[in-house]
Amino acid sequence: MIEIKQLEIGYRCKRKQTSVFQGLNASFQSGSLIGLIGDNGVGKSTLLKTLTGYLKPLHGSVLIQGENLESLSFEKKATLISIVTTEKIGGFNLTVYDVVALGRTPYLSMFGKLMPDDIAVIERSLERLGLASLKDTLMEELSDGQRQKVMIAKSLAQETPIILLDEPTAFLDYTSKHKLFEDLKVLSLEEKKLIIVSSHDIDLMQKYMTKALYLKENNLFEVK
Amino acid sequence: MKKNQFIFYVSLLIVILGLLMIADLMIGSVNVFSILNNSQLLDTILYTIRLPKVLTCVLAGSALALCGLLMQTLFRNPLAGPYALGVSSGASLFVAIATMLLTSIQISGLYFFGKSMITLFSMVGAFLVTLIILMISKKNKSSVTVLLVGIMLSQILGALQSLVEFMSSSNALKTFVIWGMGSVSSTTLSDMVIIVPIYVSSIFVAYLMVKSLNAILLNENYAANLGINISMLRIKVILITAILVGVITAFCGPIAFIGISVPIASRLLFKTSHHTHQITFCLLLGACVMVFADLICQLLSAHMMLPINTVTTLIGSPVVMYLLFKSKFNAQ
Repeated sequence: MIEIKQLEIGYRCKRKQTSVFQGLNASFQSGSLIGLIGDNGVGKSTLLKTLTGYLKPLHGSVLIQGENLESLSFEKKATLISIVTTEKIGGFNLTVYDVVALGRTPYLSMFGKLMPDDIAVIERSLERLGLASLKDTLMEELSDGQRQKVMIAKSLAQETPIILLDEPTAFLDYTSKHKLFEDLKVLSLEEKKLIIVSSHDIDLMQKYMTKALYLKENNLFEVK
Repeated sequence: MKKNQFIFYVSLLIVILGLLMIADLMIGSVNVFSILNNSQLLDTILYTIRLPKVLTCVLAGSALALCGLLMQTLFRNPLAGPYALGVSSGASLFVAIATMLLTSIQISGLYFFGKSMITLFSMVGAFLVTLIILMISKKNKSSVTVLLVGIMLSQILGALQSLVEFMSSSNALKTFVIWGMGSVSSTTLSDMVIIVPIYVSSIFVAYLMVKSLNAILLNENYAANLGINISMLRIKVILITAILVGVITAFCGPIAFIGISVPIASRLLFKTSHHTHQITFCLLLGACVMVFADLICQLLSAHMMLPINTVTTLIGSPVVMYLLFKSKFNAQ
């Protein structure tokens, strides 16, 4: 589903390139829950941003379902990959429902009108994350953990075969972390999704992940 | 927001706007009811003087409110607005330059050429400032910093404008000083030929951007992940803002605070984030506020026209101050 070939990732600033990680080869299949572990600054978030298409690879390529990520249109990418980051979202009257509904953006007309099918997907995503009772709550009134769940629900509403989560457990308590990983595991198996998660919770990763990978010295090591 | 609720609020705003427009047509230095028998005088007062003024209020108020909404969404900054960020000042400076050039080459006989050139210059000025603000906001995400930079830009542009005025002829200076006070009473029905097509097409394009505008409320990265072409959205918003602020500033002078305060008030009143709703509310509310401001001007000064900026500032600045003190908006 995702194939990474000789990938070098990093940042471009005018003519200067800052490489974070190079020579990476890997492939991930659908129906699996992959964990990314690594020290701060090793390049976990940069790798996820590159897999989403936010950042262009410095070298090498990322193939999604056999197609080069860079050759895909904005609209096509939005139906294949969704991401959840730790950035705070809120203000402008955004409620929980509004944010989850925005997950349907790739499937809507330019006026953004939700059809009955879209509403059903949104309701299902809210239910799955236990957010149905909070749907009319403003985003800024939620705790960090609840806000994180909303972004995951948005990602579910986007109905992409690949979901990337950058430190989704950062703001969650111990019980919620277990619950989230359990849900992600079920989701990857039942809906045959490829879910890649970066986290520092090694014990949880080993317990729930199909594969836990450790990023170090330009390579990915499987944690047994 | 539910469909019925939306229809109710829109109908309510249309009724309020209608009543304000009728009041603005009736109230003034001449009592309309006392000249009902004199149809020629009635025609002159209603159609030649008051109707163009009321229509200008509607167009200017709604256009500036729309620009404010688009800028606040694009920058995800509730303190953004064409006047506060110096876009109107950019337009003003270029209008000053155009006025000076046109007066010096003496083409005052060519009315439409003159008006079109001033409008075009005004748009270029607004475009350049919007572009600078966008570049700064990409480097520094803090809404307060962007606002401060906007204020500084306004000061710089104001100083440059003074320099242009200093060098201009007495005729150009007189024209420009009167225009600079902000007035909706100098437009004629024939000016609508320039304003209305630009206004209608800009609003049409704004409605076509609803999906992208909704998505960018999350942030640029999330919006890109939802399939939105961010660069294209930025270009469209900058162009619409520059065109509308340019044309309104060219005809009415720099109008203060409508652009920043109406979208804020609309969000506070109507509690919706969806841009189909917000664009409609801002257009109607902007028009209502501007006609109301003109009505206040009429009532306060029966025989002498009070500059409309005095009233828009008195209405708009408390809204902005309220926002600054309201932590919920995360203005940091």
